[in-house]
Amino acid sequence: MYTNRWEPATAVDFFDSLDFFRDEMERWMEGVRTPEVRGIFDRTLSPAVDVIETRDAFVVSADVPGISKKDLNITLTGTVLSIQGEKKEEDKGDKGRKFFRRETWAGNFRRTLDLPETADPEKVSADLKDGVLTVTIQKREEVKPRLISVNVN
Amino acid sequence: METTKSLTAPKRRFVNPACSICEDEGRVTVTLEMPGVRKEDLEIKIEGNELVVLGKRTESVPDGTFLVRERRSGDFRKTFTLDESIDHEGVDGRLADGVLILSLKIKEAALPRKISIR
Repeated sequence: MYTNRWEPATAVDFFDSLDFFRDEMERWMEGVRTPEVRGIFDRTLSPAVDVIETRDAFVVSADVPGISKKDLNITLTGTVLSIQGEKKEEDKGDKGRKFFRRETWAGNFRRTLDLPETADPEKVSADLKDGVLTVTIQKREEVKPRLISVNVN
Repeated sequence: METTKSLTAPKRRFVNPACSICEDEGRVTVTLEMPGVRKEDLEIKIEGNELVVLGKRTESVPDGTFLVRERRSGDFRKTFTLDESIDHEGVDGRLADGVLILSLKIKEAALPRKISIR
């Protein structure tokens, strides 16, 4: 149970292992600047975030597994989005518990993102589903692409 | 032959979920963080002495450009090798908020027994 099979497992996958190691090294170097949740070198207490700019909104998604709605606090001040929360650990008093591997973390976290000026702080919606938080911030009306029809006679 | 095959064949990449394993009161609890995985997209199976957990992500990514990209995309997969002390029948799993908790039973025979002295 406690020994984890190396993936890829066979000797012929040597180059894959190299790839994996290189990826992990890169991710670790990257992690110095941008925090990420998992990897063999990093264990940052902050959820990984994606920000996507669509035609008329900014979509922020964050991996927040195991965090309930009531433990999340999302604020938007001007164009600064702050996601704050507490990840609670299932606590059984810790006595008699023997850990063999511990990659999951618990504790407080805060993530602040500065959104572009075109974000409209008045139009925000948030949704939490299956451990993924999605915050959608609409763009200001004046910057949204509009289709103007021109009549040509 | 095998070598060339594995080097050229396209390989599916999986994301290794963050995992914690702990033993408590005759059970082994495995916690796997798989954000974005719904119950119906989860596959847990035991093949021989291997426990395979596969979590598919069906999350739709909005059409646009990434300003920040830190989350790893792809399906989750984790394989564990079960040793003889684990009861293959007594596996129980529950998924809530993207966290899968597997509870594995340790066989009675493998548990420490207290021997009383007469």
